[in-house]
Amino acid sequence: MRAARAYLRSPAAVIGTVILLAVVVMGVGADWFYPGDPLGLAGRPLQWPGQNPRFSLGTDSSGRDIAAQIFHGARVSLLIGFVATSIAVVIGIAIGAVAGFYGGATDTVLMRVTEAFQTLPNFILLLVLVAVFGSTIETVTIAIGIVSWPPVARLTRAEFLSLRTRDFVQACRVQGLSDVHLILREVLPNALPPVIVYASVVMAVAILLESALAFLELSDPNVPSWGNLIGLGRNVLRTEWYVSAIPGVAILLTILGVSLVGQGLNDALNPRLARAR
Amino acid sequence: MTGPTRREMLLLGATAMIPTAAFAQETPQRGGVLTVHFATEQRILNPSLQASTGVYIVGGKIQEALVDLDAQGQPIGVLAESWESAPDGKTHTFHLRRGVTWHDGKPFTSTDVAFTAMEMWKKILNYGTTLQQFLTEVQTPDPHTAVFKYEKPMPQGLLLRALPDLGYVSPKHVYESGDIRQNPANTAPVGTGPFKFVTYERGQHVIADRNPNYWRNGMPYLDRVVWRVIGDRAAAAAQMEAGQILFSPYSSLTIADMQRLGRDPRFEATTRGNEGNVRTNTLEFNFRNPILADIRVRKALAHALNVPFFIENFLGPFAKPGTGPIPSVSTDYYPTEPMPQYGYDVAQANRLLDEAGHRRGAGGVRFNLRLNPAPWGEDIALWSTFIQQSLQQVGVRVEIVRLDAAGFLRTVYNDWNFDLATGWHQYRSDPAVSTTVWYRSGSPRGAPWTNQWGWKDDRIDGIIDAAATEVDPVKRKALYADFVRAAQTELPLWMPIEQIFVSVFNKRIRNAGNNPRWASSSWHDTWLAS
Amino acid sequence: MKVLTLALRRLAASLPTLLLIIAGMFLLLQLAPGDTVDALMAQMGGGDPALAADLRRFYGLDVGVAAQLGRYMMRLITLDLGFSAIYGKPVATVILERLPPTILLMASAQSFAFFFGLVLGVLAARRVNRWPDTLISTLGLIFYATPSFWFGLMAIVVFSVYLQWFPPGGFSDITQSLTGLAAVLDIAKHLVLPTLTLGLIFLAIYLRIMRASMLEVLSLDFVRTARAKGLSETRVVARHVLRNAMLPMVTLIGLQAGTMLGGSVVVESVFALPGLGRLAYESVVQRDLNTLLGIVFVSAILVIVINFLVDILYARLDPRITAGS
Repeated sequence: MRAARAYLRSPAAVIGTVILLAVVVMGVGADWFYPGDPLGLAGRPLQWPGQNPRFSLGTDSSGRDIAAQIFHGARVSLLIGFVATSIAVVIGIAIGAVAGFYGGATDTVLMRVTEAFQTLPNFILLLVLVAVFGSTIETVTIAIGIVSWPPVARLTRAEFLSLRTRDFVQACRVQGLSDVHLILREVLPNALPPVIVYASVVMAVAILLESALAFLELSDPNVPSWGNLIGLGRNVLRTEWYVSAIPGVAILLTILGVSLVGQGLNDALNPRLARAR
Repeated sequence: MTGPTRREMLLLGATAMIPTAAFAQETPQRGGVLTVHFATEQRILNPSLQASTGVYIVGGKIQEALVDLDAQGQPIGVLAESWESAPDGKTHTFHLRRGVTWHDGKPFTSTDVAFTAMEMWKKILNYGTTLQQFLTEVQTPDPHTAVFKYEKPMPQGLLLRALPDLGYVSPKHVYESGDIRQNPANTAPVGTGPFKFVTYERGQHVIADRNPNYWRNGMPYLDRVVWRVIGDRAAAAAQMEAGQILFSPYSSLTIADMQRLGRDPRFEATTRGNEGNVRTNTLEFNFRNPILADIRVRKALAHALNVPFFIENFLGPFAKPGTGPIPSVSTDYYPTEPMPQYGYDVAQANRLLDEAGHRRGAGGVRFNLRLNPAPWGEDIALWSTFIQQSLQQVGVRVEIVRLDAAGFLRTVYNDWNFDLATGWHQYRSDPAVSTTVWYRSGSPRGAPWTNQWGWKDDRIDGIIDAAATEVDPVKRKALYADFVRAAQTELPLWMPIEQIFVSVFNKRIRNAGNNPRWASSSWHDTWLAS
Repeated sequence: MKVLTLALRRLAASLPTLLLIIAGMFLLLQLAPGDTVDALMAQMGGGDPALAADLRRFYGLDVGVAAQLGRYMMRLITLDLGFSAIYGKPVATVILERLPPTILLMASAQSFAFFFGLVLGVLAARRVNRWPDTLISTLGLIFYATPSFWFGLMAIVVFSVYLQWFPPGGFSDITQSLTGLAAVLDIAKHLVLPTLTLGLIFLAIYLRIMRASMLEVLSLDFVRTARAKGLSETRVVARHVLRNAMLPMVTLIGLQAGTMLGGSVVVESVFALPGLGRLAYESVVQRDLNTLLGIVFVSAILVIVINFLVDILYARLDPRITAGS
């Protein structure tokens, strides 16, 4: 409760929440605001925003309504961000928990694997994964999750390393509780808060990665993603720069929202640092 | 892009016709550096080993072929001065030009031609291997005569029309020892052409300087040619505007930029000089999907696409509706009678699909198809999106499968893992060289741009084989007319759009585009006005 | 000497990681549809199967995957990175040619981000919760949220197309053969926009870390002591706070090294720079295994070296830590 109040007191966190809610509303209500297929041929291509009263944000080079794509794209970006982050967090927690809890050889092996993933430039790994598994929305999301888990694992491991020596863990062990029970029901709930906060960073990065892939024309062309629009706008950048500009602003605002929310959560859950502000 | 107005189109057409006539009176100035947009880097620069426009743009200035095309598109001698053929088409004699030397000083002789023909054109050169498959030997009775012997008749027209692209000569003394494919000359070509190779900095540029011992006296006029590697289209257009490159070949800028620069008085965006580089956009069907094996479905899909609308709104003035596999620029083989066409008719499309037994189901969808577009053209991407949008209207849900170049070729032509595919068919001077392979059965699995559709028609196979060895030009033309009629009736694939590559010139360049394959040609008479 | 032994030990410890990465990428790329001959076919615009088979033999693709991996590892042990399929040159040569633009870009982006991150972070911390802090922090958040490629494109539209202050791309102007200072200035002009684009997000990160770190150190006891001694605020900051606050920043440099190469793929694509990032992308598309693995190998070594140097720097800055621990 104290945390919730601390959260709401920070103007930055509130602004972030409002932005994020707006994006969610856009995404959820897309079918209501802009019914029909956002990727269908809506009008003549490359009309400027406002040139035609039907298209408040203009049309792209394939004659699709940009405003419709922005709204429907909100759904895509949020979904990708959420699912990819979940994948990264689940993998990261699993590996970090096991490594931090057991230590020793298990820890060394798992940390070598984590280090390998971190030394490899993650965007290059992403390029290879997409080349191998294809460019559908499912494979792209999973690929982004796969390149994003290492920092989560490190964080979880650090938490587990410090928590496993605490008294309550020893007490549970003396009681004869199994390792799995210890990890999942005793240690993990205490290790989670910083990880959840970090998840907001992972989400921001996931949305950026998807848009970078779409920009390089490596993402799924069958969904209305903001990155796809920016990529399409490249070919007409000199004259119809709004095709790239508008979705870029949408991405910017979404990530801003996610970051502010994450920061708000961090400050609310870490009163020590909150005092320093 | 609201589409060109009629006035704009007339202007573009008019400007395309004026320049050479207007400037014909000017005296060529010597000197200057011609900077060229080099869009896709190549693994090798030797056109005797690789037949593609990406190689000709560089290699064609350094090495020369036996013949080239003149302003009217007729063969004109380059390294060969004259030629004659036996009536049975099995012997073709070329009398070679005298006094020609390679860039390293050694003399050009018939042994170079014999070596290149047998070791490179016949064994390694793509398209050359098919063209020269019946070549048995090249005799060299003297240093300036090369006699080509074939075991099956080779029509002289076919050979002469193919040689400008597939007849580049390499020096025997450079290539005779060691593995031809690993020879360093492949990225530092030695030729007889107007420009001598200087350097190739990967990722940056290729440079060639004037050949002081060029056999055409007084030429070339230019001091130097620099090919700048610019992978990004928008960056290339910006460099064009900044004057850092003077020429962008083969539609390497975006459609929007080409139109925009064309309206700028400093530049010219034209198809002039590329009449020999025609491509058609394809729609390929995989007969292994039983839905597409039904001709009613294929015809319905064709009727559902409003091609003129697409061309006018998305491709601008540089494309026109195609009428079949042989494009209209092929004056020798373009059929004179009208062939079966499939115009935009949504009602007919719906009718045919109903007739074929595919009723609309939930959400108005009859069935799903996957579309694999080739990743090498902005027009292909726009066309595939248009196909998706249009077929949606008749109840066919299309999913676009995105792959890179290697993945596309493997997935479509080898794994046969597609329903619809769309790409380019590049017409190379003669239907027998580039076009009939898309229809003839028997190509091995994995061979790209050949009939991999799981479809076969013996009658069409027969027509194709007969035409390839028919020596009489009139009979040959009639055979190809039969071929087109059968192809358009059976519709194993559809070629509804015809495009000529577009060159964007800075108007300072003179004698630009003065033959139908100018961008690939040697530029010996090109000069820069100040 | 101690440093050298330390370096060698670090390298030896990283060996299993290195092998894991290389073998992993090799096997992964085998699964991609199409091989380098298919990519070459696409480029050539045609070719028959006999040609394709011949080429596959030429590129060593006709043996099994295990054999190919074995061959590669054997060559790697002698530090032979193999032959590049795309370029027909040794991979080492290709990488050395493409390294300068990337190193230059990464170094200038990091320097830009570090310097301005430091300055702005300090400024924000000193005026904490007042308007300079709010302004700087907000700017930092906006920079963090901006997609780099989008910023690059917009920068081109504004600074190259409309204002014409900077060239729209490329590494240098090769229509003129410039030398000496003129050449350096020319390259610098070409790198301004790419550096800004690549460095933006790192600037935001450094800014935030510096600010948080400063705030944390400023609240510590020894600072209060220094203030009580009557030292001016500037002196306090410069001599005592900065040195300690910079420590997290220094660790961050090490962590960013890996991400930077990935980010450079996109920036090099937008600005048409002939660097390593773009080369990596090319080698994936063209299935040039040798080049891709060579880049991965080089970048991994680079990351390890940078992290090692960072640790040394950290030890010098923080006397509580000895180099061995």
